[in-house]
Amino acid sequence: MNPLSLIVRVGCDIFAWFMLVFGTNVIIHGYMSPGGGFQGGAIAATFIVFLLVAYGSRRVHSWVNEGIYDVLFDELGLLSFIILAFLGLPTSFFFNYLATPLGVASPWFTPGAGTIFFMSIAVGIEVTGALSLVILNMHRGIRLFSESPMEEELGHDR
Amino acid sequence: MIDLMHTAVLIMLLLSAFFVLWLKELIASAIALAAFSLTLAVEFYILQAPDVAIAEAAIGAALSTTIFIIAIRACSTVRKIQGDGRK
Amino acid sequence: MKKTLFVAAAIIIGGLLIGALDMVHPFGNPGAAPMDNYYLENSLKELSTENIVTSIVFDYRGFDTLGEAAVLFTALCSITVLFREGRKK
Repeated sequence: MNPLSLIVRVGCDIFAWFMLVFGTNVIIHGYMSPGGGFQGGAIAATFIVFLLVAYGSRRVHSWVNEGIYDVLFDELGLLSFIILAFLGLPTSFFFNYLATPLGVASPWFTPGAGTIFFMSIAVGIEVTGALSLVILNMHRGIRLFSESPMEEELGHDR
Repeated sequence: MIDLMHTAVLIMLLLSAFFVLWLKELIASAIALAAFSLTLAVEFYILQAPDVAIAEAAIGAALSTTIFIIAIRACSTVRKIQGDGRK
Repeated sequence: MKKTLFVAAAIIIGGLLIGALDMVHPFGNPGAAPMDNYYLENSLKELSTENIVTSIVFDYRGFDTLGEAAVLFTALCSITVLFREGRKK
């Protein structure tokens, strides 16, 4: 896709950062207000959509290294989610070992919700990375179709 | 008051779902699907499920519309290269 | 022939759906499962979370969230494989 005009670019530049901050807010406050990891991640993935609409896929792909993006967001979020779940294994899988009852102050610097807070952040990172990468890869697919016509299978890499 | 708003939202839901099937142009149909999704988010909020409303508004109205439009563009590109099809 | 079959199937399915409306709970009064009251009473007490939905999703039913994250990861992997740039011969 080609980049759009100056007005659209400036508007998307402004609103993209607002959507990112709002998604982060929904993720972090997921334990006490409506929202949570999945919803906040889906809002934060709108950031890359705004950038793609404003600047076109060629420039955005030159900014993003998809391997690093994949490892940094997707695998890190999923791994930290599973590790947080496994850390409660002395009692049971997904045991909330950091939670404190109502009215008791937490001994750590965490909110009383315990692992719910950290799991919400981990799932938020994972969903942000996954949904952004789905859209980035589909945009690259359009360019792949239009530049090299599909005559035959290209075959495996190695 | 809330009953009136509820009825209006349900009628809008039905209308936008009708337009999704009735419009011939695929991109217009995708935009109508986004309007359907946004109305559905309002309906979830009236029924006191704000979690589902946030997820529906973010995924249905923003991400799903983008994915549909990307797919429509890719299909038209392939059709133009291969030289057959409706347009 | 095909149109007659379609109309007959539409009438049968529509009749079944309208007949099933008889068994739906009245609006604003969902039937309570025995597990619901446990969540509503004990979520704030045990975990001190104000948002009961999050406490169910990430703590009581955490295994479902793990499956959902795995489904998203699988979708990402399949799309990456599908739209990868193959090396030219």
